[in-house]
Amino acid sequence: MMRVLIVDDEAPARDKLRRWLAEQSDLSLVGECADGLEAAASIAKLQPDAVFLDIQMPGMSGLEVAAQLEPALAPLLVFVTAFDEHAIKAFDLSAVDYLLKPYDKDRLHKTLERLRGRRGEAPAASATAIRTARAQTGSSERLLVPQGESLQLIDASSIHWLEADDNYVHVHTAQARYMLRRTLSDLLTQLGSNFRRIHKSAAVNIAEVKTLSPLFKGDHEVHLRSGAVLRLSRRYKDELVR
Amino acid sequence: MGTGSNRALFGLWTLFWLLMVVVAVQDNRGDHGTQWWEPYLWEGSSCVLATCWLLLERRASNRWNEYLAQPWRWFAKRLVWLPVIFVTFIVGVYGIRHGVYALTGETYEHDSWPAVFFYESVKLTLFAGLWLGIIFGLASFAHWRLEREQLLRLQKHLAESQLAQLKAQLQPHFLFNALNTISSLMQVDVERADRLLTRLADLLRASLQASARDMTSLREELKLLELYAQIMQERFAGHVALTWNVADDALDAQVPTLLLQPLLENAFKHGVERSREPVAIRIAAEKHGPDLRLTIHNNGSSLSANSGMGIGLRNCRERLELIYGARASLQLEQEGNGVLARLSIPYT
Repeated sequence: MMRVLIVDDEAPARDKLRRWLAEQSDLSLVGECADGLEAAASIAKLQPDAVFLDIQMPGMSGLEVAAQLEPALAPLLVFVTAFDEHAIKAFDLSAVDYLLKPYDKDRLHKTLERLRGRRGEAPAASATAIRTARAQTGSSERLLVPQGESLQLIDASSIHWLEADDNYVHVHTAQARYMLRRTLSDLLTQLGSNFRRIHKSAAVNIAEVKTLSPLFKGDHEVHLRSGAVLRLSRRYKDELVR
Repeated sequence: MGTGSNRALFGLWTLFWLLMVVVAVQDNRGDHGTQWWEPYLWEGSSCVLATCWLLLERRASNRWNEYLAQPWRWFAKRLVWLPVIFVTFIVGVYGIRHGVYALTGETYEHDSWPAVFFYESVKLTLFAGLWLGIIFGLASFAHWRLEREQLLRLQKHLAESQLAQLKAQLQPHFLFNALNTISSLMQVDVERADRLLTRLADLLRASLQASARDMTSLREELKLLELYAQIMQERFAGHVALTWNVADDALDAQVPTLLLQPLLENAFKHGVERSREPVAIRIAAEKHGPDLRLTIHNNGSSLSANSGMGIGLRNCRERLELIYGARASLQLEQEGNGVLARLSIPYT
């Protein structure tokens, strides 16, 4: 059974997809969302196998939602759009699945066939879709973080530093610390070059770095504006001062 | 005259006077009756006075350049000053020369004053004619280049705004989304789908007709807007409410075709499609003195989030400027928790 989530801000568009997906015996619809933020929360909570993700939506676009996902945990993605020249070109180039509105049943069935075929290679296919979405949106200026039961968007510039901890990353800001089920390296690709790794399990927002002071054996201490002191390992020094 | 041609003029001027000095020095080399400094003094004093007059001409030229298209008037405006030039030049130059000779204890010998006046006047007339010719040539060239640049810019501008106007008439995003809505509706409610399809056809027809005309009545323009709004309302049912507030005497006013649609589209794009709450859009038109005033307000967006809405708005402004010049205005302002587009054009 493939568990599917529908995301579209227009009710008629959701209706159509729901009706046609209901005819498939090997699919079960786990939810419907009308905007990006709701979609991100549902993906985290319901963990569907596949998501039909409309691109143009209020708050957060479908591409922005995809950019926030951790590839290793992400569902298969099918982008749905009426017209998006650049995105469609990029999807074609990297063989990312998409549906063009309006679509007929045959076209939807072809997409479903591809989805079924991709279930075996899910992480790789999701990773490609996410990478393509990130290339379209550029470095994320906002990061989606869990806040109690729901999700919220915080400004990337408000983040002081990131700390890896097993399968999680702690995001440190002035007010709070958020725990994300993400890998540090993937988070760094999403956030772009304002964030640099300082050792294996930590990265800083370079705008927050106040001073560097040398320790023994080529290591350094990084002093942040917030007062936090972190260790900069010799291996990452060049990357930070670049 | 641009700084470039001014630089060329003063370059030529310097070269000319260097040449004059060299020729004068060469002429007097074998003549034992003259001191070495005398040719420098003669040419130097002439150069000082001539340069003063050139600088005066340059100062005045900004005011007189409008006659570039009428060369006779251009030259006449300047040549009437010749008698003044004769007198000031002769008094100045001979004054300097006599003064310097007196300081060195010698006397400056020259022809009688009437002869000097005649000789210098002829020389100055030829000299002024030559330099005015050069100045006229340089100024005309600079003027021609500036005009050609402006023309090219205007043509590019016009082509761009025509293209943008064409694009604004048929937003592919709008078209395909509307088709998708119809494709969904017809599965459950054939009559509603049929109605929507007809609206879409009406809108396409109207905008194809409209693109052939430049101006239309507000009545026609509003019909088009209503068609567009009905389709959008079907797509975002329950998510948007529209109110129309159009004064009767405004309906017959002439407006540029499809001018309002991009503004309503912005209200949907930045208000309805971005907001998670239901959005209210208010459209109003009234005759206000000699002007027609139109406003479109939505309560679902803020101006800062609107910063990306450049093209549609810029296109509207450019069309207004082409048609009405400075007599029309289009402003966006934050009002309450929404954005108000305020348009004012002459009532015709």
